[in-house]
This record gives sequence, C-alpha cells and structure tokens, in this order.
Amino acid sequence: MTTEPAPGRGQSEFLARRTGLVMPALLLVAGIVLAIGTFTMDVPSGVASPGPQMFPAFISVACLVFAVLLAVDVLRNPEPEQVGTGAATGDRTTERTAETTESIRGPVAPAATPDRDTTATGELPATGELPATGGADEAATRIRSNRPAVLGLVGTVIVFIALLVPLGWIIAGALLFWGVARTLGSRRPVFDIFVAVAMSSSIQLAFSAGLGLNLPPGILAGVF
Amino acid sequence: MNQLSNLGDGFLTVLTPMNLLWVFVGALLGTAVGVLPGLGSAMAVALLLPVTFSLDPIGAFIMFAGVLFGGLFGDSISGILMNTPGNSTAIASTIEGHKMAQDGRAAQALATSAIASFFGGTVAAILVVFFAPSLARLATHFGPAEYLALAVFAFVAISAVVGESILRGLTSLVIGLAIALVGIDGMSGASRFTGGMPELFDGINIVVITVGLLALGEVIAVAARRGTKEEAKLITSAGRLWLSRKEFRLALPAWVRGTTIGVPFGIIPVGGSEVPTFLAYGTERRLAARKPGNMFGRGDGRGVAGPEAAGNATASTAMGALLALGLPTSATAAVLLAAFRQYGLQPGPLLFERASELVWALLASFFIGMVVLLILNLPFAPLWAKLLKVPRHYLYAGITVFAMLGIYATSSKVFDLVLVLAIGLLGFGMRRYGLPVAPVLIGVILGPLAETEFRRTMAVSEGDPFALVSSPISATLYIVLALGVTGLLVQRSRARKKEESRLMTPVA
Repeated sequence: MTTEPAPGRGQSEFLARRTGLVMPALLLVAGIVLAIGTFTMDVPSGVASPGPQMFPAFISVACLVFAVLLAVDVLRNPEPEQVGTGAATGDRTTERTAETTESIRGPVAPAATPDRDTTATGELPATGELPATGGADEAATRIRSNRPAVLGLVGTVIVFIALLVPLGWIIAGALLFWGVARTLGSRRPVFDIFVAVAMSSSIQLAFSAGLGLNLPPGILAGVF
Repeated sequence: MNQLSNLGDGFLTVLTPMNLLWVFVGALLGTAVGVLPGLGSAMAVALLLPVTFSLDPIGAFIMFAGVLFGGLFGDSISGILMNTPGNSTAIASTIEGHKMAQDGRAAQALATSAIASFFGGTVAAILVVFFAPSLARLATHFGPAEYLALAVFAFVAISAVVGESILRGLTSLVIGLAIALVGIDGMSGASRFTGGMPELFDGINIVVITVGLLALGEVIAVAARRGTKEEAKLITSAGRLWLSRKEFRLALPAWVRGTTIGVPFGIIPVGGSEVPTFLAYGTERRLAARKPGNMFGRGDGRGVAGPEAAGNATASTAMGALLALGLPTSATAAVLLAAFRQYGLQPGPLLFERASELVWALLASFFIGMVVLLILNLPFAPLWAKLLKVPRHYLYAGITVFAMLGIYATSSKVFDLVLVLAIGLLGFGMRRYGLPVAPVLIGVILGPLAETEFRRTMAVSEGDPFALVSSPISATLYIVLALGVTGLLVQRSRARKKEESRLMTPVA
C-alpha cells in the first residue's frame, strides 16, 4: 500500500476502505455454525448413506474457503478513498465516471471487470480510473453509506414488527410507511401522516375485505 | 401439429374478460417497475406472490408473464430518456438509445426499442411453442444424475456470468445453499440448523427470502445511497412515434440478428438477458463499422434494436426452459419457479401433462401480452417516463409496506417478519459490497433439489461416484459446462487485455 496518496493515516483509515470485510466475516460465522450444527446433528438411525450430514459439511467447508478468498479479494482491492466529484483524481466527475463505465462495458460482456483481480497490489490509480462496475449510476454512488438513514429505516421496521400485533395493521402499517418515507427524505411529515393512513387503510380494505388475507386488527378490532 | 391446437385452447382460456384483465394488469405493473430504476420484474413478482395466492393459478401466472415482459419493455424507456437504465438488461440499448434522444430522435429510439422487444419476444415465443413440448419429452428420460447435472450447470453458469467476478458469484451461491439447509431434511427426517425452533422446521419460506433479498434489501440500499444521487435530466420526446420506411429497413435486420443471438441464451442457463444484450450490441456495432452510414457513437437505431430484441428473445426461451426442464436461468425465472411451487406445481417435463391447461394458457398469454405491451409502450412511452417523477421516498415506503404485508399475510407469523428483515440486511450487505443476488436465489431454490438428486444417485449406485457421469446426457452437460467456463475465462482475460491496451491509447 505504498502508492496511497496520504500514507500513515492509521488503522482506521485502512479499515474504513475495507468495510467489505463484513461479508467474509459473516461467511466465516456461517461456516462455523454449520460445522458445529453438522457435528452435533441428531441423525435418525438407519439412514441410507450419504446421510443428512454430508451436504451441510460440504457447504460449511465451502463457506470457510470462500470467506478466506473473499477476504483476500477485499484486502487487495479496497474501495476508492473518495467518491463523487472526486478531489482525489482531478478529472473524475461522477458523470464522466458513469460514461466511461458504460463505454467500457459496451462491446465486452457485461461481466468483464478490468479492475478486479488484476492488480495484485491494489494500486489506487487503477481503481480510481475504473470504479466498480454494476450499473452506471451505482458505480458513482455505491461507496458511500448514509448510516443515519439505514439505521432509521431498520429501526422503523423493528418498531413495526413489535407493534403490528398489539396495534393492528392500520396503525402499524401507517407508521411503517410514514417512517420509511421520512428516513428516505420526505420533508412533509404532517402531509405524510395522511398519505400513510390512507395507504394502510386502503390495503386493509382491498386485501383483508377483498382478497381475504389475514391482517391483525389490533386495537381497532371493534371499529372494523 | 398438436402444439397449434393446444395453443388454440390456450388462447381460448386467456381470452376471457377476467384473464385479459390479468394480462393487462401484469403488463401495466411490469412496465412500471421496468421504467423505475432499481425495481425489476423479479422484485415485482416476489411482492405479488403472497397477495395473489388467493387467485387461481392461471390468472396469477399470466399476470406474472405480463410483469416479466413488461419489465423488459419498460426498462429501456428510462434508459433512452434519462440515461439511467431501468434494469441491467437495458444497459446495452441505453448506450445508443440515449445518444439518439440527445440528438432529438427520442421518439424513434423508443419506437425502435418497443418494436424490437415485441419482435424478439414473439419470435422466441413461437419457437418455445414448437420446441418446448419436445424438450419436455426429452426431459422425461432424465433421472437423478441428469437433474443433478442440470442443477450444477445452473449453479456454475449463473455464478460465473451474473456477477462481476466468479469468486463473488460463487460466494453468493454458497450463501444461498447455506440458507436452504435450514429445516427438516426430507430424506432422513433429521432436523438441521433449526436451533430447535418449530418455526424453522419447514425451512425458511422462499417468499421470505425473495422479498427480503430483492425488495427490502433494495430499499435499505436506497436509504444508504440517500444524498449521494444526482437528479438525472429527463429528455422530452416529441414527434412521430413510428419509424420511417428507411429506418424500418435499417432496424429490421438488427431485430432479426438480435433475436437470433437472444434465443439460445434462454435455453443455456447463463443467468438472464445481460450477456445476450451486450453480445447483440457488440455485433451491431461491428457490422455497422464495415458499411457507410455508421451512426454508432452518435445514436444508431441498430444499437437499440439488436439488444432489445435479444433481451426479450432470451426471456421467452428462458420461460420455455423453465416450463420444460424446471430449470431457472435468471433471478426472475427463479422467482417464477418459487411461484409454481407455491401453487403446488413443479415445472419440468410432467407439467405439460399435469397442468397442460395452465402451460398453454401461459404460452398464449405471452403473445397477447406482447401485443398489449406494444400498444401500451409505443404511443405512451413519454407518459411512462412521468413515473420517474413519483417521489422516491413514497415509492420505496410503499414497497416496504407491501413487502411486510405480503410476508405477514402468507404465514401470519411475526417470526417471518424478523427473518425478512435479517435477509433484507443480508441483501443490503451484498449490494453494498458487490455480491450478486441472483445466485443466492438459484442456490436456495435448486440447492435442496441438487442434494436430494445427489443422494438418490449415490444410494442407487451404492456409493459409486461414476454413476454421476455415466449417462450420456449428464456427461454431455458436464462437458458443455466445462467448455463454457473455460471459454468464459479465456474471453474475460482477453477482454481485460483489450481494455488495458485501449486505456493506454484513448480513442474518441
């Protein structure tokens, strides 16, 4: 990593560009859980071989192998330091990036990625010129994560799950709609309340009364 | 000509007011999700699965077919007018299509694209009508070893082609296979990885997985990207919506070539329409370069016609392969396979006998759907583009509500809602770090099948591994697979070299 423009910003900087290690870590955990589960499995007697443990054992090994391979891949190809209207390399506006990605993907099969597994050293200039593939607009915006929005959204869903049965579909569903719209950037909270209630009520009417789906009535049970 | 009378019966089934309504609803929904970037037919069908459970299967499936093709019609509209392809299948046609729009020829680009979709889809559907029954008859000779070979073929093909790297594709596949392990093993009755929770004895419901990965995962990814996206400019399309005779003459060969390229890709599982659309684009570009009047780079209609025809042709034949072999070749096909299972149907050779009314009605609905879509798209394309003005936060809030509604409605279990959130987070992580989602679905759906067929083969042969490759069909499949992967690796490394040399000497 000697080619990084600003060397020595420490461990956190190194990891910040490699948050992708979450996925191999997840695979690692999955592989270990599968391995333990396979060893401790209660196998009914008299099962024809190969029994129920063979395939899980195979998958658990595969999980561990791919965890290692993916970790190596992430370590070698860190995410670019900066995205967007890049100050890192002068000529890299997002628009330009999208265009190059497209023209590059043009005549070749879409899966061809020049920036993966080629540079063993993971030099920044190489990744900088050819940002990650996967859709023109995605290329420019994939890197950054809006953490408050993600947390807000996941929190809203958790609240919805907790309140669905006690409060009933209409209230919980409206809350879900309102909360998601809010975390995704709606600026009209009061207007949204009406939209959300209209949405959940019409769903209750259409699907519960119309199609006969089973939705929890909650505290409004007597009203409907 | 048994097929023709069967197809005639199919048309009679579809041409009832109620079923026509489903075709129409499917086409509308499909075009809408096609136009909107980030939403695709696979997600739409996944969201519809739970709420359509009370419909009769024929109505539901002809609606799904409408959604499938509508997505392919619609995805190029936003690509042409806004340079943001509605789906990965429209990236190839966006390159020239958007240049045409910038040049003031948006209407012609939209018309070329709509007619191309119609042409490719219809021609391929005709081929499916004639050849799918024979394919199904051939597949009745398949035993466990052959089905295992088919599943392995689908695993490797989709992992190798869909993702940006084979490593990432295979990683996704392994995630899918691992998810599918949860539940009681059907052959031995052993409970696997359930943690003793009765909710997990039946395994994780496929609807939970598809909705979590495709819908909720996408919504979380949208939240994560919030504030980083620039508004794309919408080019207004004015003028005639039909092609002049000269444009038509120019586009027709491209439609034919695109269809020819697209048809085989539906049968050999390479995971959807991305590869054929790019191949068609490359072909048109190379052919045009040889002759005068080459407009590539400035908006050439052939660059839209070829890929669009190829994409729809692939989708048609992929449906044929799904019906006849039970082999899903893309995320959408995998979701449709899940839909068949929801209705207690197993696509494959026996489907043509057991549910022939459904199969032929479905095939007939392809043709009707194409006509409906052509009518919906040709004159109204600019209107569809208005959909892009719906505020994103309402759109995705609505999707979240529908996802949760569907999950709760199928099982009435709060536990499934927790699961869908967990899988949604997994789907977000995969999107965030560049792992393709389609192999997970294929792994989840075909994993148990592969395991069962493997164990059956081994049980019958008493542990002789050569039984896996002893039949000519399975041996052929493995050889084709090996050749295909080798070819892909060679092509990729060659493409990479070409890119490198091209980057050294930048061409305008």
